[in-house]
Amino acid sequence: MTQAAIRLTPRERLRVAVHAVDAPRRAALGRVVAEAGHIVVGTPDAADVVLADRECPPGETRALVLLGGADDEAPGVLPREANASQIDAAIRAVAAGLIVRLPGLKEAGFGALRETDAHALLTPRELEVLAALAEGMTNKAIARRLDISLHTVKFHVESVFRKLGARTRTEAVAKASERRRHETITL
Amino acid sequence: MSDQTDPLGQFSNALAARADAAKGTVVAIRLAHERHVTGMLWQSGIVVTSEQALPRKDEFELVAPGGSILKANIAGRDSSTNVAILKTAEQIAAPAIAAGEARTGAMALAIGADGAGGVSARLGLVNLAGPEWHSSRGGLIDRRIVLDVRLAHREEGGPVFDADGALLGTSTFGPRGQVIVIPTATIARVVPLLLKDGRIARGWLGVALQAVAVPDALRESAGQSSGLMVMSVVENGPAAQAGILAGDIILSVDGTAAHRFRKMARHFGADSIGRKAELRLIRSGAVMTVQATIAERQAA
Repeated sequence: MTQAAIRLTPRERLRVAVHAVDAPRRAALGRVVAEAGHIVVGTPDAADVVLADRECPPGETRALVLLGGADDEAPGVLPREANASQIDAAIRAVAAGLIVRLPGLKEAGFGALRETDAHALLTPRELEVLAALAEGMTNKAIARRLDISLHTVKFHVESVFRKLGARTRTEAVAKASERRRHETITL
Repeated sequence: MSDQTDPLGQFSNALAARADAAKGTVVAIRLAHERHVTGMLWQSGIVVTSEQALPRKDEFELVAPGGSILKANIAGRDSSTNVAILKTAEQIAAPAIAAGEARTGAMALAIGADGAGGVSARLGLVNLAGPEWHSSRGGLIDRRIVLDVRLAHREEGGPVFDADGALLGTSTFGPRGQVIVIPTATIARVVPLLLKDGRIARGWLGVALQAVAVPDALRESAGQSSGLMVMSVVENGPAAQAGILAGDIILSVDGTAAHRFRKMARHFGADSIGRKAELRLIRSGAVMTVQATIAERQAA
């Protein structure tokens, strides 16, 4: 730990080769790289990292960050609209031998309709309680809003936790929103 | 090297022969920036591919077996079953296709187009063969077929063969990069419809729905313990015109309980368009019935 911390240079300058077919795009990426404190080098030159737009240069074997490409095997893959700090972070990570992916990038794809088991479905009242939890309301505030007793609110919150398999309010809100995202159907 | 009695050598030679024979079955569908996806020659002049892999445009360039370049137009696409078809400008022959049945644990050979008129190959097992399923986009897929092969994006849409050389279907990506197969039966069902109309017509009410539990107090009058709650209503859509409101809980459509969307999906096929549907629903603690005229769903 200590040793690694001592060795780490806070803003290491890396040699980055920028590969983009489109000249304005190449210039723009060059600026991003330079502003992040790195040195932009030509594609054939010695480079620590190659930053490529959409496609990997044929035969490229150096550490690679690919923007918006379809190559699963590149160590770094970011969407084409990745921002400057993401590109900088990816360049540094890939140079350090790490793999970079955006969470959820592989989530998409042709999937099945998900449906919750009947016993875990929430009631309309529980959905109202959940909406209030999402706003960060206390049990007391929820009781006032829904015009029910504090005891009843607690009962509903417990039922929501049980049905969603959540232990905290934050977790319940996250799981419910996940469920909504996957299970809302348009007809 | 050519020891004909070595089973591993025979196995390998047989696979290489299969990959070679598959050359006549695929085309590369060119995308921008020298990328491509794979299409399968389904019938003469008709190429089938993965709908999700195709950009939204009408004209594509294909690399045919052997390397010649062809123009092709989109003849139809259906995101609900992930099937798109292209019609080639010049005639191009398609090989005879025999439909195969996927079995868990059986061998699967996935073929992709290499972009220069040849093929790339992947070998694996049918990781899982299951019953029919519904896609999140509302389509019915005849079998659940998951492969344990990896696939490059350029190979998506290519044919997947079993050990007998029969066609299990076309490859595509499921969630989290999982490689799944759109079964031959699904393609065979969808292609004629796409050739006829360019799309799969579907019924539409103009609502977003989420499954909910019916409150205890209403279970008896509702006669069921779950339904589909209306989360939002499309302005001027069929549901809006019928007076359906956000918060209503749909219990049944034409007598079919709306416990599950899967069962209800059948009521909203192409033949449902223009029909009056009777919806039983809960509003403000009471059960009531509303009539809505099903319209046609517009492409997403």
